[in-house]
Amino acid sequence: MATYSNQHWLLSHIRNSFISTDDTGMCETVMLSDDMPKHYLRKFNSSAGVESHRRRPLKPPLVSTQTERNIRHPDAPMQEVDFVCYPGLDLSDDEEDMSTHSFDIQMYPEVGAHRFRSNTAQKLEKLDIAKRRAARIKSINYNEEVQPPDDKDFFKRKEIPNIKPNISPKEKKSNDDELSDEGVQSMLTEQLAKSPKQTQNKFVEFARFDGTSQVGMQTKRINVYLNMLPEPDRNYPLKVCVLSTAKIQEVIGFVCYKTSQQYPDVPLKSLQHYGLYMTEDNDDMEDFPPLDNREPCSKFGFSHLTLAERRPLAPVTRVDYPGQLGTKSMTSEDDKANLADAAVRALKNITLNGGAADPGGGATGGGGGGGGDESPHDNVKEYEKRLLNHNDMLEAPMHRSFRLNIIDKRFFKSDVTLGISGERIEIDQYKNAKFWPQKKPVSTPIDAVAHCEIVERRQLKALLRIWLKSNSSSSSLPSGCTSAPINASVTTLNTGTGSSSAGIAHSPSSPGNSFGFFSTTSNIRFKHYDFDTDTHTAEQIHGKLNCILEMRSSELRREFLQQRERKLERQQVKKQLKL
Amino acid sequence: MEAMGDQLILATGGYDHTIKVWQAHTGNCIKTMRFVETSQVNALDRTPDKTRLAACGYQCIRLYDLESNCTAPVINFDGVQKNVTRLGFQEDGNWMFTAGEDHHVRIWDMISAPPHCSRVFDCESPVNAACLHPNQVEIGMGSQNGNVFLWDVKSEKHECIVPEVDASIQDVAISPDGHYLAAANNKGNCYIWSLCSSPDQKMSTMRPTKKITAHSRYILRCKFSPDSRLLLTTSGDGTACLWKTSDFSKWRELSIENYWVWDAAFSADSKWLFTASSDGVARLWKLETKTPTREYTGHTKAITALSFKDEIIRKVNH
Repeated sequence: MATYSNQHWLLSHIRNSFISTDDTGMCETVMLSDDMPKHYLRKFNSSAGVESHRRRPLKPPLVSTQTERNIRHPDAPMQEVDFVCYPGLDLSDDEEDMSTHSFDIQMYPEVGAHRFRSNTAQKLEKLDIAKRRAARIKSINYNEEVQPPDDKDFFKRKEIPNIKPNISPKEKKSNDDELSDEGVQSMLTEQLAKSPKQTQNKFVEFARFDGTSQVGMQTKRINVYLNMLPEPDRNYPLKVCVLSTAKIQEVIGFVCYKTSQQYPDVPLKSLQHYGLYMTEDNDDMEDFPPLDNREPCSKFGFSHLTLAERRPLAPVTRVDYPGQLGTKSMTSEDDKANLADAAVRALKNITLNGGAADPGGGATGGGGGGGGDESPHDNVKEYEKRLLNHNDMLEAPMHRSFRLNIIDKRFFKSDVTLGISGERIEIDQYKNAKFWPQKKPVSTPIDAVAHCEIVERRQLKALLRIWLKSNSSSSSLPSGCTSAPINASVTTLNTGTGSSSAGIAHSPSSPGNSFGFFSTTSNIRFKHYDFDTDTHTAEQIHGKLNCILEMRSSELRREFLQQRERKLERQQVKKQLKL
Repeated sequence: MEAMGDQLILATGGYDHTIKVWQAHTGNCIKTMRFVETSQVNALDRTPDKTRLAACGYQCIRLYDLESNCTAPVINFDGVQKNVTRLGFQEDGNWMFTAGEDHHVRIWDMISAPPHCSRVFDCESPVNAACLHPNQVEIGMGSQNGNVFLWDVKSEKHECIVPEVDASIQDVAISPDGHYLAAANNKGNCYIWSLCSSPDQKMSTMRPTKKITAHSRYILRCKFSPDSRLLLTTSGDGTACLWKTSDFSKWRELSIENYWVWDAAFSADSKWLFTASSDGVARLWKLETKTPTREYTGHTKAITALSFKDEIIRKVNH
């Protein structure tokens, strides 16, 4: 109970409670930047760190702090009493994460609504239902004794009318591949003739996600409001039962299938036009983006959803962190916050651009079956392309690791894992690498990364270069496995792609091509790592990393690009001078 | 749920422990019923009045009401041992036969209340197949040790033939005109006998007529078309073959590659064929052109049994 008087604890608690009871899967996006407890803690720590030296010997009187506690000055610096850190929470980043942010807490949706009943009560009820059901089922004993029928005519032989002679002449007439018509028509033939082929449901492939009466499979019941229906119908949800394993995309397909059965007159578009939106049970659609198509429906706890045409420019629901080798990265909230800001900025840009560039888009989405649904094809394409970029941008900060070769001492290669996330890049020697002594992994904050480029492209292989701020002067970063090549290439800036000797791009110290770079305006030095990998991976890394860097639009990157430009200019001047 | 009314329905059941009822001409699933959790569906048949659907499987026989919305069975058999492989109804619905791996074929009196067993035949080996002669008193049966029986339920006489040693009979069929009995085995062979009934109303006699090397593998079902002009064999080799009964030459081959074709049913005019296969899809084929016209998707596992009851609505004048 004592903890309820602790602001930090309360803030953390509220935040955690929100996250752990959130059905939407949205919290990670929404709350990414708002870890207030952490902000306060950080502020408190920094102010405390400064003041503690001064204050400790002075021992300020208790009275003054108490008054301050009661009358809070909005701009007053953070005081110890203002924000008492919960003991044990001011540890290092990682440990702290463990204690305050329990993302693994799984809450059942039942909790809160009503408590679980005991197992016995549930079992008894089940038995009761089974009994009642059994009462309606007639039971026959399979092994009972044989009672021959009393009635002599119980088994009655039936004469089979002989129809054979009628057929033979016809059969002779027909050729080998044709069976003669006996002159009858069945009900099925008639009904099939009445229903042309088109009536075959185009969503029929999703019928298999039907969860009704499935035995031994998890199913999920959802009430879905159908936004495309006319007024009275759309207020009543369609009740569906789907397999829990169905992805949202498949749920949409199944709902479309059901809809087309129930409302055969309502024209449905193809699947990608629709999204499932969160909804209150009074069928008010909420302003969130639709659920992620790729997620299994079991992930979401909603009882009510709305199927509606996708709103333009809101296609992404959440950023998820595929944890290949990496951690489920919710560490270092500060970096995250920056990143989220950057992402939001980027999104705003897109939105603005989109609104201006695509006047048809508004009509298509907003109309909801108005006149604009026949938008030109390239419009759609353009839209899709934008979605793609949009997705790229959101996915870029997710941790992902690649396996490639680092080029060590100019020609030795060693197998490494390169991990890239929105916070840092990490290079770790691959564990099973033979011959070479194990080297320490290197971790570089993304702030220190300036640029990524593909310097050389061959048929299958590519040479990838990542430029970093050289920290030869500062000692804050560990210098690990590649210290030798780093030193070799520090202070050089290679413009391999542009210069004449592109062929030996990974030779930063080759005389014709390297320049010491001591700019007058800034003395930032850059170093680079070279990697050898296949073209596809190289492009992926190139795209991902530059996407992250562009979103952050850091000083460092600008500096790097400026330096490079100046250098190019200088080269050109040199060339001209030579000429 | 729509009322069944007089719409034509197709019933399918399989390894996903469910029985689905489809609107035959659209392919829409009308109703799904839970079968027994531990069993696949071995065979399905509808009562002649079309109101009930009987299904059998491992240690179970159940009858479902097709007209109510209830998906629970209305009749359940207790104490069933082993697999029940086939069941079927006499044309008035007076009695039902079941064949099982407990070596027995039983006749169930369905008009007395409660239903009870009125005849038993012991095949001395697991019974894989049974079918009713159109004369409504004889039952053709096939057993796992390769015996083919013809049993007169009225006189309780029977006849037994072993067409091929070391082969298990998988299915038997009698043509609707009463002329042929076909038995298909696990080697892919199909044997045909001509049935001759003497005028003094004694049991039919079987005269060997033809052996067809129908498939390279396991035959799962054989069936005659309602007009008795076609014999169908479905197999584990991914095909269903249609043979003309005039000379037992192959007429059509329908292929569902890489999947077993477990069961099939003709339309009343013998122009259409439903197939059930292990890809979990039931198909409707137009036999004339061999084109699949409808697909019935919804089962999550192999479909092993289907039932379709059609009727002739009119004679077409030529």
